[in-house]
Amino acid sequence: MEANQMEQQKSWKKRAWWLIVLIAAGLIAPHVISEFYLLILGEALIMSLFALSFNLLFGTMGQLPFGQAAFYGLGGYGMAMLLTKFQVNFWLSFVAGIGIAALVALLVGIFCVRLRGIYFSILTLAFGQLIFVIIYKWHDFTGGDDGIQGVFPPVFLKDPIAYYYFILLVFCLSAFILWRIIHSPFGYTLQAMRENSERTEFLGIPIARYQLIAFVISAAFTGLAGALWAPFYRSVAPSTLMWIKSGEPVMATILGGAGLFFGPILGTFLITFVHAYLLGFTHFWPIIMGTLILIVIFLLPGGILGFIKEKRDNRNKQNQPSQG
Amino acid sequence: MSFDVLFNQFLSGIARGALLFLVASGLSLTFGVLRVLNFAHGSLYMLGAFLSYSIWKWLLIPVVGFYVATLLTAFIMAGIGLLIEYFILRRLYARGWPEQLLATYALILIITDIVKWFWGGEFLSIPRPKPFTGAVFLFGFPFPSYNFFIILLGLALVVFLWWLVYKTRLGDIIRAAAHDRDMVSALGIPIPWLFTWIFALGAMIAGLSGAVTAPYGAIALGMDIEIIIECFAVVVIGGMGSLPGTLLGALIVGQVYSFGIMYKPELALAFIFMVMAIVLIIRPWGIFGRPER
Amino acid sequence: MKRLAFFTVVICVLSLLLAPVVLAQAKAAPAKEAAKVAVKTGEKDAIRLGGIWDFAGPCYMLSESAVQGMRIAVEEINAKGGVLGRKMDLIVRDTEMKVDVGARETKDLILREKVNFLIGPCSSGVALAVQVVHSESKVLRITCMANTEGQVVDKFTPYVAQVVPNTYMEAIAATRFMNKKYPNAKKFCTIAPDYEFGRREEAAFEEEIKRLVPDSEILYQAWPKPGEKDFTSFITAIMAKKPDAVHSSLFGGDLVAFTKQAAPYGFFEKIPFIALYDLPVFIALGADAPDGVMAFGRGCFFMDPNPKMMEFVAKYRKARGAYPDSWAVQAYDSVYLIKAAVEKAKSTDTEKVIKAMEGINLDSLRGKFFIRPLDHMGSVPCYQGIIAKDPNYPFKVWKDVVKVPGEQVWRSEAGVREVWKKTGVTR
Repeated sequence: MEANQMEQQKSWKKRAWWLIVLIAAGLIAPHVISEFYLLILGEALIMSLFALSFNLLFGTMGQLPFGQAAFYGLGGYGMAMLLTKFQVNFWLSFVAGIGIAALVALLVGIFCVRLRGIYFSILTLAFGQLIFVIIYKWHDFTGGDDGIQGVFPPVFLKDPIAYYYFILLVFCLSAFILWRIIHSPFGYTLQAMRENSERTEFLGIPIARYQLIAFVISAAFTGLAGALWAPFYRSVAPSTLMWIKSGEPVMATILGGAGLFFGPILGTFLITFVHAYLLGFTHFWPIIMGTLILIVIFLLPGGILGFIKEKRDNRNKQNQPSQG
Repeated sequence: MSFDVLFNQFLSGIARGALLFLVASGLSLTFGVLRVLNFAHGSLYMLGAFLSYSIWKWLLIPVVGFYVATLLTAFIMAGIGLLIEYFILRRLYARGWPEQLLATYALILIITDIVKWFWGGEFLSIPRPKPFTGAVFLFGFPFPSYNFFIILLGLALVVFLWWLVYKTRLGDIIRAAAHDRDMVSALGIPIPWLFTWIFALGAMIAGLSGAVTAPYGAIALGMDIEIIIECFAVVVIGGMGSLPGTLLGALIVGQVYSFGIMYKPELALAFIFMVMAIVLIIRPWGIFGRPER
Repeated sequence: MKRLAFFTVVICVLSLLLAPVVLAQAKAAPAKEAAKVAVKTGEKDAIRLGGIWDFAGPCYMLSESAVQGMRIAVEEINAKGGVLGRKMDLIVRDTEMKVDVGARETKDLILREKVNFLIGPCSSGVALAVQVVHSESKVLRITCMANTEGQVVDKFTPYVAQVVPNTYMEAIAATRFMNKKYPNAKKFCTIAPDYEFGRREEAAFEEEIKRLVPDSEILYQAWPKPGEKDFTSFITAIMAKKPDAVHSSLFGGDLVAFTKQAAPYGFFEKIPFIALYDLPVFIALGADAPDGVMAFGRGCFFMDPNPKMMEFVAKYRKARGAYPDSWAVQAYDSVYLIKAAVEKAKSTDTEKVIKAMEGINLDSLRGKFFIRPLDHMGSVPCYQGIIAKDPNYPFKVWKDVVKVPGEQVWRSEAGVREVWKKTGVTR
């Protein structure tokens, strides 16, 4: 028993080290890498947030939503429209964007959480597409497929380095909050639901309500990612709401490993940087991405981090004599 | 609204429904037995269309050329389906359905680029084959004969699949496997090969419908994404894994789109998704589906 | 079971034998190579052109055409000694027809590749997003394909110039052509892809036809989604209304599908029709292209067979083994516009080049046109004609071509300023 606790404490210390290194790297990045790679880094952070919020539903709760891009887009659009059409203050628009995403998730989620498995996935896909079509076709209100331009951050954030720090700050805070949620009693209940939903129900847990709460939280953080994105390149467009975009956090999470908190982050960083690098000399990116996914699915079940963890666990098991 | 106008829209809805049924039936078949929702079904459809164009161009036999090309395409696509199932899907049955779903999603990406690589980005067209070049007259209205050909093919497929599933021993095995694959396996039926065969059949149907669509409209990149969403709507509404359901779903989607266009063209697409969502909310397994899983 | 296994193997073998043969044949077809078009002269002070294009969906082949046109122009210029004694480099980036990728790749071209100028993209939606990015970085872009008015009118910035007729110009010219051919037509239908391009063109059509024929009526407007495969329901809906003529901004694969599906209904015999029948559509349709139908376009060789154009055609055919379409022509013109502006400014400094470009005259493949200083809109011609066979070509082309100079159909300066008042552009 004590050996186990010592093991856990050791792994915590190791993890703490990693975290410190990563955050330090994030802080000094703008002074070390070029402006272009800083942009990629910012993009990776935003998409990581997207993937993390997705994984709240997938890794923790065990459901596969395929319509998250709608909330991403709603966050961005909500903010963009308030900022440009109604001249609302940046910070208010930012928060409102998140609110809009969460509100729509509440309305949509009520129906989605009553389903499981593939039906849940398809219904989220259908709702996602419905929201996309509405935004795309309502061009008088949303600008249609022209999108909305002129989404400028406040003056002190206009500088790319400043905005990068803003993204980093929001990301770290959000990741921390999500971490706490996943490792709270609420989060553990979600995991229990994933393992065995019937049993959890017999324990008196209202499954649908918990799932709805998780759905809304996930949508809120996804909307936050969208709201971070809009001022990044100063515009939003309906194409960010298509179901193809919903597949991106899915791929990133599977690649990095759905079972670990940092999995989606690793997967997103890998994909974002490799994508940006490869676009420099080929436009056959999809086949590379597709092949990569297949390779990971076959050779690294549990993703990259899952694979590493399993290797380490096996090694530890070998090193430890069996406890009688 | 006069009768002839309504009748015409109804007919065009039937033609669209027939086309949708041709494509979606393969998806439904695969899901019914293998329990895999093949995201890449639309990509196989697109690949079939491009392949049929190249074969047709290569053969250059007047009149019969198109039909021969369609048949050859169907067989090639069956072979490709076989390879996909054997090398990719088979290893994933033991894993969860999310991995299977993702593998088919990855296939979309791979097949799109394969098409891009071999055929470039050009849109292509095959002229309609004789004798389906003109129009027949129904109630004094012209109705393109090729649309008739598609409807006939749809009917033929319905008959073939019905015969296969309900009148052959293989069909008994398929239905049993759809119900309880472990039991069927315990009875000594080689389930892996059955699955391979079914997936190949599904791919064959996808390729066949792609080849048939080629003279109907244009062959272009993006036709995979365009069709797969409508296919999902069809199988969701009709019932995933149910062939009569797919037929009904296809007809419904065809009519909703056709009449939606007359009254509110911008919202026709939204209607489809709304119906899809409503069905999933009220009766998730579709009109003819079975509540299991 | 054994019979089944045997049959399966037979199929497998058959397909594995056939497939490579067919695929080899597909690949052997000319002009199908992925565009590895970067021109890298290796010179330190080369003028760097960034091509930001969409290599996905319907934009794929248009982008490839454009990039080839750019490349020929760059090679020509370099062979003659470059611009101000400096050679030109060409770097191309893919937006995947996605707005976010497009914005990022534009930044890549500006920050990492340090391009002096940009040309592209194909998609209007991507163009608008890209415009915000490069305008903030103060880099000039020439748009030669994405033609939404949004670029130089609604959301004008000084860092854009347009050498493709915008949606307004194109539709006005086409409407006048149709009205001249069918002056008694009063009842119309439209069919256009349901996105910004289609919406703007039809809006301009509506405006102009009302002006030309005050008692005209638009009976029904069809809005198929871009990439629609089945237009049958739209066709029957339109024919049910019995219009005097139909105006359309369908193009590319959509137009091919529509044409094939409408023909058996006798659509083209019964109803006068005008649409963007350009080279790629003619090549795809072959004999299915409907003779005698009206067409509009932006500058393919059969619309304007002047000596400069035909020289370009010969060069293009030699390099690519195919005929150049309007997209290649306009991209070629874009490169030469930059050359002219840089030479006039005697510098590659963006502000100086923009100043030099305002009012500049260019002797292009499409004849002479100039860049209007107010909104950087090129007075580029709009073409209309009638589809007809031509023994010189393996595809149908146009006859009775009408070439309308841009300044006859663009928004007046007052009109532009009116829109600017509404959209908040100050100039």
